[in-house]
Amino acid sequence: MVDTDVEGLIAERGRIGVALTPDEIRAIVAHLGRLPTETELFAFDAQWSEHCSYKSSRHHLRKLPVDGPTVMQGPAEDAGIVHLGRWNGESYGVVIAHESHNHPSQVVPFEGAATGVGGIVRDVLCMGAEIIGLADPLRFGRLDDPHCRYVAQSVVDGIAAYGNAIGVPNLGGDVYIDESFDDNVLVNVVALGLVRESEIIHSRAPRDSIGYDIVLVGKATDRSGFGGASFSSLTLDDADAEANKGAVQVPDPFLKNVIIRASYRVFEELRRDGIVAGFKDLGAGGFAGCSAELCASGGVGAAVELDRVPTSQPDLPPAVVAIGETQERLCWIVPPTFTPRLLAIYNEEFSLPRISRGAAAAVVGKVVEGGRYHATYRGEVVMDVDLDFLTGGVRYNRPYTIALPNPPAEHPPYEGFRDTASALAALLAHRDVCSRRTIFQRYDGVVRGTTAIPPGYADAGVICPIPGAPLGVALAVAGNPRYGKLDPQLAAEHAVVEAVRNVVAVGARPLGLTDCLNFGDPTVPEHLGALVAAVDGLSYAARRLGTPFVSGNVSLYNQSKSGRTVAPSPIVACVGGIDDIAATATMAFKRAGAAIYTVGIPDVHLGGSVYAELLGIEGAMLPRLDYDDIERANAFVLVAFREGLIAAAHDVSDGGTLVALAKMAFATHDGSRIGVAMAPGARDGIVCDDAFAEATGFVIEVADEEAFALLAFTRDVVVERIATTTAAYDFTFADGSRAALDDLYEAWSAPLRDFYAPVRAPEAVQR
Amino acid sequence: MSARVAVVVFPGTNSEDETLRALTAVGLDAEIVHWSRGAAGLRPFDAYVLPGGFSYEDRVRAGAVAAHDEAMDAVIAGAQAGKYVLGICNGAQTLLEAGLVPGTGPLRRPTAAFAPNASGKFQSLHVHVRLNVPPGRVPMLASLPPDCVIPAWASHGEGRLAATEAELDRMEREGHIAFVYCDARGADVPAPNGSARGAAALTNAAGNVLAIMPHPERAERAIYAPSGGIVFFAAFAAALAGAVAR
Repeated sequence: MVDTDVEGLIAERGRIGVALTPDEIRAIVAHLGRLPTETELFAFDAQWSEHCSYKSSRHHLRKLPVDGPTVMQGPAEDAGIVHLGRWNGESYGVVIAHESHNHPSQVVPFEGAATGVGGIVRDVLCMGAEIIGLADPLRFGRLDDPHCRYVAQSVVDGIAAYGNAIGVPNLGGDVYIDESFDDNVLVNVVALGLVRESEIIHSRAPRDSIGYDIVLVGKATDRSGFGGASFSSLTLDDADAEANKGAVQVPDPFLKNVIIRASYRVFEELRRDGIVAGFKDLGAGGFAGCSAELCASGGVGAAVELDRVPTSQPDLPPAVVAIGETQERLCWIVPPTFTPRLLAIYNEEFSLPRISRGAAAAVVGKVVEGGRYHATYRGEVVMDVDLDFLTGGVRYNRPYTIALPNPPAEHPPYEGFRDTASALAALLAHRDVCSRRTIFQRYDGVVRGTTAIPPGYADAGVICPIPGAPLGVALAVAGNPRYGKLDPQLAAEHAVVEAVRNVVAVGARPLGLTDCLNFGDPTVPEHLGALVAAVDGLSYAARRLGTPFVSGNVSLYNQSKSGRTVAPSPIVACVGGIDDIAATATMAFKRAGAAIYTVGIPDVHLGGSVYAELLGIEGAMLPRLDYDDIERANAFVLVAFREGLIAAAHDVSDGGTLVALAKMAFATHDGSRIGVAMAPGARDGIVCDDAFAEATGFVIEVADEEAFALLAFTRDVVVERIATTTAAYDFTFADGSRAALDDLYEAWSAPLRDFYAPVRAPEAVQR
Repeated sequence: MSARVAVVVFPGTNSEDETLRALTAVGLDAEIVHWSRGAAGLRPFDAYVLPGGFSYEDRVRAGAVAAHDEAMDAVIAGAQAGKYVLGICNGAQTLLEAGLVPGTGPLRRPTAAFAPNASGKFQSLHVHVRLNVPPGRVPMLASLPPDCVIPAWASHGEGRLAATEAELDRMEREGHIAFVYCDARGADVPAPNGSARGAAALTNAAGNVLAIMPHPERAERAIYAPSGGIVFFAAFAAALAGAVAR
């Protein structure tokens, strides 16, 4: 390959399979003063990819607020950490990481989704944390298309196969369905960890670590996942799908299960002896990328012998050994005195070599002085590069244009539903509202035995990760593609507001946010403009609500070559903290005869709503956000939870207030059947369609009405009694219409009950 | 002297921590023992609890490979010597594959199967199970009231009891079907996984081995459902104390 000059290399770059641009190649050659070796070329290709370097987005991401009293560690490493609280004299942090695995999941959906889980849990593990929860925001194409359905089914299967096997509870997530995801599915994944503040492990070579060992742990390296980083930074095209399959990694949750447990043992030993080590997961860029970043962040160099990397195939080229993305691997930097114990834990106590061919922990290099990455293979130098240059990447300040949304303030008249009962039945059956039970019951939500509220019983999943402690952790996600299409900036604000509200709705203080920005081609000014607008929205909402972003991810080029781009999708996760788990509650109605209140000033704009879509209402505005009111309402709900005034709470989102009430009636688990009757004159009907507006706050079953109303008055929060729970399992509306909740439940359950209906496999697979 | 309980972990087990917590919460002296310690490491214990997970990646059938792990020699010998052996989920599958339940055939030659769920998929569901035999039939749970209903989570892909009709009749007749699926009030419901005879748990002839598919240990922190799983472990602890005292 090297038998050429720089322009020859540029001409050949497509055939070689690198995504570096001509200018980037010229910059590399100018820096090195020579042509790169093949291994170096692929190393730069990975490190300088959009996936690793955020080269088009980093400039804009700086706008996000990342500081605050809840932040233990901001977005500098693989995951962020927020303060949870103290227990038994220890300060505990919750680690949160958020990633996408969109392109792999489109091409090889089962493996793509599974390795998405596998990657995110490594990000959490390498902070020295126990992995305590998962959530998956998913965006599928239309399920009446056989291929879209095949992708959706396989994605869910992949997440289930991986998360269940490693034994991490899935705490929720969400599913939206939209044609813009027909040929570019979005598979985001969020993972949580628990770490003692004094025992955080950093993804960098420790201070004074010259002479430390670089130890590679995990699956034997093979050819799988070569070129994954640049693959995920290219546009997807069906014609290339077959060729791209080689770039997708192969998941091995069974091996990972054992590696995770062995790593926990290593944490114990490090803690006992007070040893400081560096730990990082291997993701995009493989072993060389990981070890280079570890050493670069520690300000040291690396001398690596690639021959010592355990492999499961003979005669792998050095570029594959160095850069390939074989899964289930991690890298330690430890003092040589600790190395024998590290190797014994993985190789003997947990017997990695006996349970997976070639799997092992092995010393493959040393930390050295200077800032260079030096790698040899079979006696030849295959990498000799400046670490800061390799890992510093490139930055682009690309041109962008922000399209201003221009909806008219008044929408034209439209034909409504016959009555409120039929409107509600139609809303409940909508693809973005209907029951996701068939999907989320595929995930183990209760393994580890720490789950207080599993998925489906509240707006957020809740766990008690510290045995014996009353502290709870809540996790929720949000990001509405119907809003994203209309106004990326306001959609991003809504994503923050809803994610925060979701954790408040279980009585949890919002501690921190993460985002995954799923957008199109950043070299197209309109697509980059949508991202910039979304970042502005995230930033504004997070500042107004005083909740920082502690980690995040960007996924670009989410489009097919046919030009179809995904709905702008800023997806947000919020982690919350609960001081006393006894004060939380599910969203299920608890007793008949209880008062139901709304909290907050309702916004009645119908833009982006399910109701507007069902009726074909065009041009309505997205709901506006009154942050002062939102902050007051959130604070009020938290106090009301603490004082035991709330029996059940649910936020109002897709479908509006009546949908929220119906879901509270559906959420009982113990066979109790409690209905609901709207107050006479409630704005719930087709005469006044306020009840179908979304993002209007909370609906709450009140435990102590007098105290609740008084608290609202003293805190200057607008609350309104809109309904009463009933012993009859019916939903009665203010317009006099009525529906049996059994019928509504059926309308809500039916659409995705046959999610696993067989698809015509040959067509699906060959396409 | 108090009884010592081994929580037996194979590669792929994932529920050892909560199982250990459930056992220690009822006052038992329990510890996690890894497969790498082998049968020799397990022999000194008075009872064995096999927790849930995906041992050996569920290769062949769930539990099939673990049943042939050398460490199982100690569990089998212990069961034959009358020690209490409890398997939950993957542990239950392993006990069945080892031939310890229903125990009507040769060792490691199962006469029934925990087959893939009727849905063909792994499902995680909140369920209730009811004691289906007189409490004395399963000595390790002898202190449970008759018809005791326990809330639990069924989280498995292969939990549907399958056997020939003759074998199922025999299991029912001889009281091998220790728990069946029911509703919150104890009334029969169709098994959510399609399990024959509604079976959620199996025991052997002597009643010292119990293989239960749903997880009683996962109700520990739940606020969404009445916590009843601890009753199960309290009965186990009481029986074990009595057994060791004898």
